[in-house]
Amino acid sequence: MLALTSPVETPFHRLPAGVKLLFLAGFTLAVFQVERPVAMLLPVAFVAGAYLAAGRSFLWQGAAALRPLWPFVAVILAWHAVTREIAIGLTLSGRILATVALANLVTMTTRLDDLVAVVTALLSPLERLGVKPRVIGFAIALVIRFTPVLIGKGQALAEAWRARSPRRPRWNIVTPVTLAALDDAEHVAEALRARGGLPAGSTERKRHGT
Amino acid sequence: MKIWPDRTITADGAQAHIRLQGVSCSFGDKVVLPELSLDLAERRVGVVGRNGSGKSTLARLIAGLIAPDAGRVLINDVDVLRDRRGAVETVGFLFQNPDHQIIFPTVEEELAFGLTQLGQSKAAARAKARAMLAHFGKADWAPRAVATLSQGQRHLVCLMAVLAMQPAVILLDEPFSGLDIPTTRALRRYLDQIEPALIQITHDPAALEGYDRVLWLDEGRVRADGAPDEVLPAFRAAMETEEGGDAGTDLAG
Amino acid sequence: MERNLVLIALFAALIAALGLVPTITLMSGVPISAQSLGVMLCGTVLGARKGALAVLLFLLLVALGLPLLAGGRGGLGVFVSPTAGFLVGFPVAAFVTGAIVEKLRAVPLMWAAMIGAFLGGVIALYIPGIIGMAITLGKSLAEASALALPFIPGDLVKVGIAGLVTSAIARARPGSLLSRSSARAKGPR
Repeated sequence: MLALTSPVETPFHRLPAGVKLLFLAGFTLAVFQVERPVAMLLPVAFVAGAYLAAGRSFLWQGAAALRPLWPFVAVILAWHAVTREIAIGLTLSGRILATVALANLVTMTTRLDDLVAVVTALLSPLERLGVKPRVIGFAIALVIRFTPVLIGKGQALAEAWRARSPRRPRWNIVTPVTLAALDDAEHVAEALRARGGLPAGSTERKRHGT
Repeated sequence: MKIWPDRTITADGAQAHIRLQGVSCSFGDKVVLPELSLDLAERRVGVVGRNGSGKSTLARLIAGLIAPDAGRVLINDVDVLRDRRGAVETVGFLFQNPDHQIIFPTVEEELAFGLTQLGQSKAAARAKARAMLAHFGKADWAPRAVATLSQGQRHLVCLMAVLAMQPAVILLDEPFSGLDIPTTRALRRYLDQIEPALIQITHDPAALEGYDRVLWLDEGRVRADGAPDEVLPAFRAAMETEEGGDAGTDLAG
Repeated sequence: MERNLVLIALFAALIAALGLVPTITLMSGVPISAQSLGVMLCGTVLGARKGALAVLLFLLLVALGLPLLAGGRGGLGVFVSPTAGFLVGFPVAAFVTGAIVEKLRAVPLMWAAMIGAFLGGVIALYIPGIIGMAITLGKSLAEASALALPFIPGDLVKVGIAGLVTSAIARARPGSLLSRSSARAKGPR
């Protein structure tokens, strides 16, 4: 299962993940302060410019990722056209597009393991409270491994349904898929115990001198 | 063991008449079946081939579970892709893994499912499910949870669920995988006795003993087509001599 | 310990899988995403704490850029989009759902699950959801509520399904229903 990182290389791919995330947070907060449509042109142009700098195929990917927003933008523009507050409608639309597009840009130009590293670093102060970053990394890997397995099970059951019914599959499929999640969890937990348990956290590693 | 003796026989006396007309199928860039036209009317048909030869795709096309890029599939004049209701009454599919096929928690519900989907009342469907179980000598399985059954028992439940629909033909996708020898033989005995025509997909020639016709599928094309004792020895020989080492097998790459 | 972690991870995967496999159609034939049903099941099966953790893990993976939301969406963009409030609501929904199933032991499981799924998966979910829409779309709460209204019937259907699925699971795997396990009182394992 592939992450949404774009295979198209851009200059942004080389920036450190933490820097991009901080910038995104600051940018989003700032954009929410902007009130006038003319002023909103600035962040919109900035983000558009960033996508253009990254190349055409990247721009297409970015545009595709924004497609789920069109119903919301349409509703806003129509709403504010009717209440004769077009200026507000344009500001709001620009805000949504700019913030989501920049966030998507960060996602598309940052590799999964770099983001996991940031998360692990952010969580390390919590180790004293019992949160083990390496365990979280392991949990992430498990979800990535098993999502396609459960999807496959769902698809196989949907196919088995279609083999015996002219109607589309109904909710009954959810039960066996959920049971598969429960059973797979038992098997994996058993395999883990057979291999010595969960990966040790960094504090435990220090204690063992590795 | 004639399970449902009131089975309709087609005009030419065959149980089921399967016709593929100019069928082709690809997934993305990969052409799985370039172009296939077939006429199957035998009672027991086998399809052999290596993994990746297109056998499973062919089976799903015949059952109407996937759409061909071109051509059509007719079983007893039912267009299995477009007439799903007719298809479900005419062709059954036994999937390789019972755990990917069984939807309901109890045996009785699983058997009754297809019947209720065809419009029968819950009571009538349950009654037929219980009759089917009794016929197989498993009347006590009705309320049992599928989870408590063994692998082989689950295969049998799947077979009964398909049979309950009274199809004219059943597709079997590697039905004996994962079963031990005695269970394989027992399942084989049940399969030999049931009324519908069978089309068995397998990579194991021994499973097709006593069959009427065997097709050898190689990279989506029919490499051989005839009686088992014509096709299977050639197939076996080819399998044993093909490609030294790993190249050309699942292990390569 | 391993079992808890693995269950949490597998249920996070379940939320993703239910969003990505089209499984439910409403009476009129309109397909609705089963993803929030997955969130409800995290609560009804795993209980409040583990259910919420499963959802948080799921959200973490979405934030990391995995296309696990219904429709294959994901990444940081969804956390600033108009539906972001619902994402914030997901773990709350699982927690409330689970808490109700755990507490209402006198009530038969199916009904407790439905009550939990409603109070958690609809009420507790829609409150942050509507607030989020109000903020991002610049609308009042009343206006945002009106926009959210069409989705409620689908979610009510899911409440019913959550009850049915939970009781089916309890019958099939009695030991796996952590929300009603008798070992709960002993504290964290």
